[in-house]
Amino acid sequence: MTVTFQLNGEDCSFHGDPMTPLVDILRRERFLTGTKAVCREGFCGACTVHVDDEAVPSCLKPIGLVQGCAVTTIEGLSSGNQALHPLQANFEAADAVQCGMCFPGMVMSLSAFVRDNPHASRPEIKAAMVGNICRCTGYERIVDAVADCLDQARKAGQSVGGIHV
Amino acid sequence: MAPSVERSFTAASTLEEAMAARRQGAVVLAGGTWMMRDPQRGVDLPEAVVALHRIPALSKVEIEPDHVVIGAAVTHAVLGRALHGAAGFEGLVAAAENAANPGIRRVATVGGNLCALDFAAADLAPALLVCEATVELETFEGPKLLGISDFLKDRHALLAEAIVTRIHLRRDLVASAHIRLPLRKAGDYPVAIVSLAVDKDKRCRIAVGSVEPVARRWTTLEQAMRAGQASALDPERAAGLALEHNDFQGRDGREAEGWYRRQVLPPLVKRGVAALLKTGGLA
Ligand SMILES: Cc1cc2nc3c(=O)[nH]c(=O)nc-3n(C[C@H](O)[C@H](O)[C@H](O)COP(=O)(O)OP(=O)(O)OC[C@H]3O[C@@H](n4cnc5c(N)ncnc54)[C@H](O)[C@@H]3O)c2cc1C
Ligand code: FES
Ligand code: FES
Repeated sequence: MTVTFQLNGEDCSFHGDPMTPLVDILRRERFLTGTKAVCREGFCGACTVHVDDEAVPSCLKPIGLVQGCAVTTIEGLSSGNQALHPLQANFEAADAVQCGMCFPGMVMSLSAFVRDNPHASRPEIKAAMVGNICRCTGYERIVDAVADCLDQARKAGQSVGGIHV
Repeated sequence: MAPSVERSFTAASTLEEAMAARRQGAVVLAGGTWMMRDPQRGVDLPEAVVALHRIPALSKVEIEPDHVVIGAAVTHAVLGRALHGAAGFEGLVAAAENAANPGIRRVATVGGNLCALDFAAADLAPALLVCEATVELETFEGPKLLGISDFLKDRHALLAEAIVTRIHLRRDLVASAHIRLPLRKAGDYPVAIVSLAVDKDKRCRIAVGSVEPVARRWTTLEQAMRAGQASALDPERAAGLALEHNDFQGRDGREAEGWYRRQVLPPLVKRGVAALLKTGGLA
């Protein structure tokens, strides 16, 4: 079967088994290895990408369901030549990242969350992260960085929605 | 990476098209959050699937003054948003908003939750049991309506030749609550689930999920709560009655042993009644 979709703003097509998980196509065919396949069961969130602007686990998304959709991976959030997404910049500034394994998924989940919830409280930020497991950090710095990011955007009168593709 | 078999994948745009694929042996694919884990369970993915996400009628929630109709392909996230603030559906909303994790809730559907055979911890099952939901199926012989209790009991046989299309709910509840006990604060399957609702005749309905292999109403407790003069909606009294009338056989599972699932029910009933009393309809 042939599946066509947009990947980080570009047309893309896949020929093969329609039940192939999206994460495998991203990593093995497109070499977009920022998206991690860790549990392959929907529990860890390391494989999170945006499909039509929604943060979803790519390990459980058969490529057949992606026909006609727009997929954004961590590589599409900001290319190396552009400014980082504000959330990424905040994570870097707060030194929130340790081994980094969870972070592409964490950023993809939380970038959609801050876009949609500019006034989120700390408990709401935590609730948005329950599908993203981090074995290193203890989470608090991540929550701090997200709260700071929202705070800065509110003070500047901006939304944290801009995705640079 | 991809197996050499040529797998058949139909993205049906009408129910007729989906049924035609079913007749040819295709298995229903909804969000895929259950099915895509088949290989981890040692089960091969089906050779032919029919996806429902392109059928508009199955992806909407209709809210009328006296009833609600939920399409089987509606996701947990959409269901939670659609019914948020609708009096009487607090429990169903809590079930849709707290099951699994946010990424799964954006993908996993109502139909998938009810049709994942051998999945005992489905949050929507007890929540829909206390709504006394009616399940609409499209079978090879035509449409069929069935009470949710009967559907859950017979779903293995029923689903061999059917697609769940819609869930129908009457708006006859004044309040409801959904109490779940995961071992961590969130993210894992609940060890036990208690859903409660109070209807317009002030009758309390109670259902339990995840304790036995299939969710069911707790009729002995419902009857005990109706008997006697004291207010049925006293959390302590309800917990006492739950202890006395605990007729569940807990299932052993990865998260917890059967005795534990059974034993946590009275405190969950107590929390549930306390939550009911805080809802707009009863406060
Ligand atoms: C990490 C994780 C955590 C989870 N935690 C919870 C939790 O806390 N509570 C909870 O309730 N659930 C939980 N789940 C389970 C989740 O809710 C189910 O996987 C989901 O509801 C299945 O829906 P789906 O649309 O993805 O179904 P699919 O995977 O597409 O399908 C599931 C099964 O149902 C059949 N099917 C689907 N739709 C229909 C239909 N309309 N008619 C006939 N057959 C149909 C399919 O053929 C398949 O056999 C969790 C899942 C994951 C991955
Ligand atoms: S790899 Fe997808 S959620 Fe863990
Ligand atoms: S930084 Fe190592 S898993 Fe999160």
